[in-house]
Amino acid sequence: MDEVVRQIITRRRFLQLSAVSAVAVACSPSAVSSPSSAGSAPAGSSPAGGSGGAPSGGAVTGTINVSYPDEAGLKPKYVEQAAAAVKAQFPGADVKIDLQKVGDDDFYTKLLLALDSGTGPDVFHVGGSSIGELADASYVEPLDNYVSQWADWSQYPDSVRTGVTYKGSVWAIPYGLDMRWLYYRKDDLQKAGLAADWQPANVQGILDAATAVKNANETNVIPYALYAGPAGSSGTADHAFVPLLWAYGGELQDSSGKWIGDSPATKKVMAYYQKAYNGLSPKEILTSTKPWTAMREKLGNGQLALLFEGGWVYGGWASANKAATEQNVGYVLHPTENGGPSFTVGGPGTCWYISSRSTNKQGAWEFIKAMNTAEIVGKLNAEDPHPVARTDAADIPEFKSDPYLVASTAALAKAKFTAPDPGYSKVIEAIQKATARVAAGELGPDDAAKRYTDDLTQALGADKVTSQ
Amino acid sequence: MAVAARGRLGRNRLYLAGLSPAAFLLALFFVGPALWAIGSSFTNRALVGLDAANPRFVGLDNYARLFSDPDFGRVILNSVIFVIGSAIIGQFVLGLLLALLLDYAQRRGFLATSLVYAAVLLAWVNPTIIAGFLWVAMFDFYNGSLNAGLHVVGAPPVNWLGQGPMLAVIIANTWRGTAFTMLIFLGALRTIPSDIYEAARVDGASAFRRFWDHTLPILRPIAALTLLSVTMATFGTFILIQTLTNGGPAFQTEVIALYAFHEAFQNHAVGYGSTISVVMLALNLAFAVVFLRWSRARA
Repeated sequence: MDEVVRQIITRRRFLQLSAVSAVAVACSPSAVSSPSSAGSAPAGSSPAGGSGGAPSGGAVTGTINVSYPDEAGLKPKYVEQAAAAVKAQFPGADVKIDLQKVGDDDFYTKLLLALDSGTGPDVFHVGGSSIGELADASYVEPLDNYVSQWADWSQYPDSVRTGVTYKGSVWAIPYGLDMRWLYYRKDDLQKAGLAADWQPANVQGILDAATAVKNANETNVIPYALYAGPAGSSGTADHAFVPLLWAYGGELQDSSGKWIGDSPATKKVMAYYQKAYNGLSPKEILTSTKPWTAMREKLGNGQLALLFEGGWVYGGWASANKAATEQNVGYVLHPTENGGPSFTVGGPGTCWYISSRSTNKQGAWEFIKAMNTAEIVGKLNAEDPHPVARTDAADIPEFKSDPYLVASTAALAKAKFTAPDPGYSKVIEAIQKATARVAAGELGPDDAAKRYTDDLTQALGADKVTSQ
Repeated sequence: MAVAARGRLGRNRLYLAGLSPAAFLLALFFVGPALWAIGSSFTNRALVGLDAANPRFVGLDNYARLFSDPDFGRVILNSVIFVIGSAIIGQFVLGLLLALLLDYAQRRGFLATSLVYAAVLLAWVNPTIIAGFLWVAMFDFYNGSLNAGLHVVGAPPVNWLGQGPMLAVIIANTWRGTAFTMLIFLGALRTIPSDIYEAARVDGASAFRRFWDHTLPILRPIAALTLLSVTMATFGTFILIQTLTNGGPAFQTEVIALYAFHEAFQNHAVGYGSTISVVMLALNLAFAVVFLRWSRARA
């Protein structure tokens, strides 16, 4: 019964998403035996075939080139497991794995250069926030025809599907969702006279706690780390500016999709930066290479008291010393200006994409499916803590038994998401410039907010920017 | 006329044949990319987004944007300070002084000469990226050698890269590049016969006068070329700064080459990045013309 309902849902979803593939709708997922029987497809996409479980003997041959970055070393064993599964299911196929031990930013630039020159892997792994710009550049394949015939797609809630949908199509398969916490060291806060179950009443409460830690004069304890400038990478936006903007009631875009530069909220965020960089947050953040590495390490060992960071960062501390982490690291949602409901910043996380220039798209899709089974998604996200993208993956014991993962998943209900807008990466750059100017003491809050409008206008064009 | 031209071509055939491999390589690796950059500076070419799928000709838009870019003046000023500080004062003057000292020491057969020579050379044989990380290891706030030294004597740590970012990158680049100038001047100094100095000494000229009247005029053509190559190389430096401060804090060390790199490969705006590099190329050409004229006028 469930299976029938699922198929109907899948079909309806498919009709919504791709109007032309009438023939494909007639084929139930299990009936498809070869790619060619899936019928016509929207321009630029190849027909989908193969399906959940049943080997479609010989449907996939040739080499599947997989490329992904990993510095932490958590993913390779699962990628290899998925590659082995594909090879076992399709003896004619080979999977070549290109593991790049570089940061996400470097990987992305390398990938773009390869895609721009017409080469690049069949299937790759980059942030979901890039969906808009990758789709606009025609680098990636729309996956509507693939997911419509994938029974497991019904396990992905609508909110997750929306996060990877751009211009009406699905472009990437997420597996672990992003969320962020305001982390604090219970030991450092207690020494500063604050409660171990500290809860900031409002945004000012973060600065007040940081000031208390500073005044407690503990040796080697940094009160607070607020990412700023280009050195903070996308963290300057997602872990600092954006939550603060939302906390002060601002928005990144107005209802017509224009990016908002100067606004009362932007000025307040800049004023907050000025206060934070007046002795609370270290200026070294502006010039260090990958400052988050030092800041995460310091929070883990008690040398940093307050940090708003990705939920996944907790995994590094827990794997080093789980008991000490549970005892000393507290996490709360981001407060707002006037004590309104706290929130977190959500995101689709890192996703798997198929290159539009791939000559083995069917093989690439088979790899994505093998990589995104409930088992792998559950285990990978238990180890590298993220809320899971497919709901059934949360049922595995490793996930269910971990209070941190359960809390992180529950927090998603209070998450605000940034839109997968192709202009966002340029907005991030303007945010980096604006925050660096205030943090380095070059401009005051009001001037920096005005310059933020100018920088946005420079990067995106006057028709896409407004001030309030 | 045509016969004369053909005759000249015939006479120079061997010379042209010898020149062509170099000309071909230069065309392939310099003129080609430069033309490509000029071409792409008139487009909105990008690595990602709509402009990546459909790059358009935008005329002078990128140049208009660059000259109204409020950061560009800052970037040029940074470049000028960086070039004067690390190329002219640092590498050039320091390299000349080191060469004079070493030449003096060598002529007298001082023992430590080769050790000093090797030490200066070591800084230069390192790849730039390693030189960069060496200085990161010195300046780093949390784990750097300088702050470790301060800790030993009980002094509080200093945020070297935050408080004096431009000075820090100038010191690092001077350390790295001085050997090149020194080598060239040392070679030039060795071509000066000792009897000139002996004659001057017999005439009662002071050390400074000997340097001013004899050494400097002989070095001048070499000095002009060295200054040109050091200035151009320094103007194009970005790896060292990228490693140390990546242009920060807040554009305080963002030089023109780094700005071009950031726009093209961090912001993925290849067209705009090309525009910046074309302006950089034009400025370099202007330097070259000025320096070469100066060297010819005095030669």
